[in-house]
Amino acid sequence: MSGNSGGPLVRIRDLRKRFGANEVLRGVDLDVARGEVVSVIGASGSGKTTMLRCVNLLETYDSGSIAVDGVEVGYSGEGANRRRRGERELARIRADIGMVFQLFNLFPHLTARQNVMLGLIKVRRLPRAEAQQAADRWLVRVGLADKLDALPHELSGGQQQRVGIARAVAMNPKVLLLDEITSALDPELVGEVLNVVRELAAEGMTMILVTHEMSFARDVSSRIVFMDAGRVAVEGTPREVFGAQAHDRLRTFLSRIEMRH
Amino acid sequence: MNYHLNFAFVWRYFGRLGWGLALSLELAAVGIVAGIVIGLALALLAQGRGRVVRGLIAAYVEFIRNVPLLLLVYLVFYGIPSAGGFAYDATTSFVITLAVYAGAYLVEVFRAGLDAIPRGLIDAGRAIGLTPWQRTLYVVLPTMLRIVLPSLSNAFISLFKDTAIASVIAVPELTYGANWIYTNTFRIIEVYAVVTPMYLLTGWTLLLLLRQLERRFALRRS
Amino acid sequence: MTIMLKALPFLWQGLLVTLEVSGVVVVTALLLGLLMGTALTYAPRWLAWPVRAYSDIVRGLPLITLIFFVYYALPALHVNIPGWWAATGALAAFETAHVAEVARGALQSIHVGQTDAGRAIGLTFGQRMLYVIFPQALRRFLPPWINTVVDTVKGSALVSLVGIVDLMLSVQQVIGRTFEPLPLYVLGALMYFAINYTLSLLSRRLEARFAYVRE
Repeated sequence: MSGNSGGPLVRIRDLRKRFGANEVLRGVDLDVARGEVVSVIGASGSGKTTMLRCVNLLETYDSGSIAVDGVEVGYSGEGANRRRRGERELARIRADIGMVFQLFNLFPHLTARQNVMLGLIKVRRLPRAEAQQAADRWLVRVGLADKLDALPHELSGGQQQRVGIARAVAMNPKVLLLDEITSALDPELVGEVLNVVRELAAEGMTMILVTHEMSFARDVSSRIVFMDAGRVAVEGTPREVFGAQAHDRLRTFLSRIEMRH
Repeated sequence: MNYHLNFAFVWRYFGRLGWGLALSLELAAVGIVAGIVIGLALALLAQGRGRVVRGLIAAYVEFIRNVPLLLLVYLVFYGIPSAGGFAYDATTSFVITLAVYAGAYLVEVFRAGLDAIPRGLIDAGRAIGLTPWQRTLYVVLPTMLRIVLPSLSNAFISLFKDTAIASVIAVPELTYGANWIYTNTFRIIEVYAVVTPMYLLTGWTLLLLLRQLERRFALRRS
Repeated sequence: MTIMLKALPFLWQGLLVTLEVSGVVVVTALLLGLLMGTALTYAPRWLAWPVRAYSDIVRGLPLITLIFFVYYALPALHVNIPGWWAATGALAAFETAHVAEVARGALQSIHVGQTDAGRAIGLTFGQRMLYVIFPQALRRFLPPWINTVVDTVKGSALVSLVGIVDLMLSVQQVIGRTFEPLPLYVLGALMYFAINYTLSLLSRRLEARFAYVRE
């Protein structure tokens, strides 16, 4: 799979999708450069989670394009030869894109270590010993050295989410997608998860975060994107976006958020 | 394949199928009503009474549920009269069998329904001074009946299909009618081409009607 | 009493036939039912619909009617397979539909997030089924599946109506010789009960055991 060192790592152009009569994405344009951390904020229904899930084709899109490292995610071929990618191709592409979920989605029948190892063995085709070493390394890095053999139901929400992050990152993805990863956590557990994300960002992992954690987004992001009604409404550095607040809807949205935090 | 379809035979004897279907429905209806009476009575009886009573009821339920219906039909029709020295006609015998059969299944349904009644309702009944019997009659039963309505619907449709077993003791329901036409005309394909839709359409119609009933009356458990 | 004892060897032979028929049906229905259940849950419409139609039609008929139909229709269509296969085949077709429903229920109860997580790390459909979905669905599948096994054993009694000498027909043959219906029917019932009650207990024990493992 080619890597274009020139252009953006993730390129989204005119992304459109409708669910029945509801047009959820109305032409989203977004570029994410290598090493950037982009936080996507917006009210529910603004389409931010849908957009994120389109990047690794967990959701299909109706028109537009998404390219990761120069490779169009949903389609292959040009012009007349353009066709939807088959399951196997998609699986290979998805292996290079990591995702962490709001509800963790850990495999409940596998231990923390096995959760992380599964992708390494079956997708990256590492031998078992190597996979275990890599899994252990990542789990220790996210602070779960003593929980390697624990099953998900034996872990707290914050611990489960950290396993989820380890599982995604151990695959060595080009870009990491984080879908409101702290929204389902008790407040006191949010910090431990955000710290892991902070460290990953500092190491240069390219990330797209959908989040409600405004102060965190302001801290860790190189760019903030505010989505409204299926489009990117405001885009800029944290200072620009949170400072000026020229945009009406953004101002309303932020004031509502401030009341909750 | 040298088989030429000829439905004329089937239409000539269609009365046996039509009336057979009616009888199947009647048998199912009587079966479910009797089953409800038996099942409800036993479920109420099993609430909190002695271990002996509950053990006997459990034995009855387990026996019926683990023995083939066919065997039960024969047992009641041939077995019991031989010991008692009396005889009854096939339809009566089958109705008794079906009632006993339905009762065993419905005891479980009603027990689950009784368990599902929110504790608070019973307390409220106590609080306004109803006697145990009044509570049962005015609070517990109406609530429970609405909870179990979906299960009762499914039981009724199952019973409708179970009535086909009555054909083995010559009760003139739908399957018996089909077999009669077959043995007299050898038009197996035609007969079953008519009887299969009869079963299917009746089943689906019942399902639709009962779903309507449920929509009006059933309580969704939260 | 002596009648019952003398009958035992004959009934035992019949029991073996019952177990044989039930065994074949259980294995067939399990394999095909799992395939169909997977198709019902995951396959595209053009595959899922015919499977759904098959399942609804076969389950919408009484088993006895289905057996009669298959048993008498095949010779009429010049398909000459032995009666044993016709009856067993009909029972297998019936139970396959039921196992498919059980499998569908178990598979659909798995949270969609599991499929999401599996896809996100790049597993193919087959890998997801094998390593993520089936292991979780198994515990929701087994207890109700055992109930279909019980239904199969009970349903197998219907093959006696087309001349297969199973436990049910053996009982009737002995009655034909001894004219003592009641004790023999009771004995036959107890033999069926022994098999099925054991299976029911197993199903309940499995259900209880699985309930302890939290999701």
